[in-house]
Amino acid sequence: MNGIEYHIIEIIYGSSNDRRKGGIEVRKVAIVRGGLAKFGVRKATYKELAQEAGNAVFDDIPNLDKKDVDSLFLGSAGPDRFAFQCYPAPLVAEQVGVQPRNLIMRTELACASGQAAMRAAYASIAAGLSDIALVMGVEKMNTPNLAEAQTTMAAVMDREWDGVNGMSAPPFFAMIMQRHMYEYGTTREQIAKVSVKNHDNSASNPFAQFQQRFTIDDVIKSVEISKPIRLLDCSGITDGAAGIVMTTEEKAKEFTDTPVYIEGLGQCNMGSLVSNLPSLTTWESLKVAFRNALDMAGKGIMDMSFAEVHDCFTISEIVIYEDSGMCEKGQGGKHIEDGNPYVGGKLPVNTHGGLLGTGHPLGATSIAQTVEVIEQFRGEVPEERYVGGEWALTHNLSGNANVHSVLVMRRGG
Amino acid sequence: MAKIELPYLLDFCTLQTEDFTRIHTFFDNLKEGRLTTTKCMKCGEILWQPRTVCPHCNADEMEWIDLPQEGKLFAFTEVIYGAPLGMEQDAPFSIGLVELENQPMSVLARIDDAHYEDLEVGQEMKLKIITLEDGRVWFRWVHKK
Repeated sequence: MNGIEYHIIEIIYGSSNDRRKGGIEVRKVAIVRGGLAKFGVRKATYKELAQEAGNAVFDDIPNLDKKDVDSLFLGSAGPDRFAFQCYPAPLVAEQVGVQPRNLIMRTELACASGQAAMRAAYASIAAGLSDIALVMGVEKMNTPNLAEAQTTMAAVMDREWDGVNGMSAPPFFAMIMQRHMYEYGTTREQIAKVSVKNHDNSASNPFAQFQQRFTIDDVIKSVEISKPIRLLDCSGITDGAAGIVMTTEEKAKEFTDTPVYIEGLGQCNMGSLVSNLPSLTTWESLKVAFRNALDMAGKGIMDMSFAEVHDCFTISEIVIYEDSGMCEKGQGGKHIEDGNPYVGGKLPVNTHGGLLGTGHPLGATSIAQTVEVIEQFRGEVPEERYVGGEWALTHNLSGNANVHSVLVMRRGG
Repeated sequence: MAKIELPYLLDFCTLQTEDFTRIHTFFDNLKEGRLTTTKCMKCGEILWQPRTVCPHCNADEMEWIDLPQEGKLFAFTEVIYGAPLGMEQDAPFSIGLVELENQPMSVLARIDDAHYEDLEVGQEMKLKIITLEDGRVWFRWVHKK
């Protein structure tokens, strides 16, 4: 829209891959293990959530001495406003008991803040600046007044030109749903199936905010939020925290027999203001991020055993099916109707319940997706949503879907 | 927009005068009934929102041009729940993205006097300029009728 020329595919795609294939020697990066604080409306503060997740991480890696953690990367989208706490990285370091001496930072990329932390850790370990990094995501979104969280969310948009009009996540994705139904004839029932599927998966996930199953009828008759989006089309306003330990391939073997290797990374941003986006219903930057990540790993999308993607709203997952190449453009509704993204289908999507089922504590979301990948690879998830396999990817979008971030992972050991 | 009694940093509507912004001309023009934006004097790009530096050619000389105040509805929604502080009391309200007439540009704003069911892609819309109690101005869309 707005006649802005984006350098679609060729330029961005070419340059980032050329760099990666330019013969630069980097260290291989592995994820050891991870842990979560329960997601939900928690009777706990930001710092207490961080302690809980830190506790889970170090419990799971008993032979890791906290003194050997040399770096901390904290994904946290908006503690400045959600929890009235700026500068949260040293605060979290103290809460979990680490003393970073190589790198410490908080990363902010709205809904992808956690993946931003993982990417920073990846770069640091690959380049040799860090050896053992704790990567955490913490978000405390619920206060006694829900409008406070909504205000912070609306400020994720360009406050002066989008937020001022009442534009925020639900109305933005509502316009996408409206346009997708208009352009492709996608039905309300097809879109509702995403919510039903993901809640079915989260029903057996003890860390999920929602462990309740719903019918299509429940979804399409739930409370209206921003038409045509209803409550069960939305991920939660969630308190939560998650952590993982990332290190080199060699060191990972000291702590686990099943390391998870990061084999591909892709990320792309196009635009900011809603009216300046290339399109509402086709996410060009998503295509670049997926292609770059998969190309780096030497894989195609259908080579993945499963995918944990950013279903912040039901319609997001429909667009992701299409623009990631799981199906043809405009066929996202049919794709789920035909059973493809279910456990047991062609490519299971959001086996842990997605953001719709587990909740969406912004900074912790990506880390929780990664914990699911680890547990799937280790065979530690309940039988009804077990997929296993060798390859998986995680995806996050952020803001008004103008940045997409993808990580391709492989089971080691 | 209802009266806002929030600290400045919880108020979405920007400060509009010369003391606070280099694009105050946009608001001055809006007060006079004109929707305007900046056009780069070097490369000729028309920019939305108004800028002080051209993101295409990096030039910093801009001229103000008038934009059409009519266009066709491209996408829309109606906010029922979840409006931010300062806008909760306005809900339900509609928001729409309108493609300007004879100008390859879309402009997002609230749509007054219309529920979701009253809206359709392609409907003719026109601009409505509103004045806040403190004198600041902003704009919305309404049906052309």
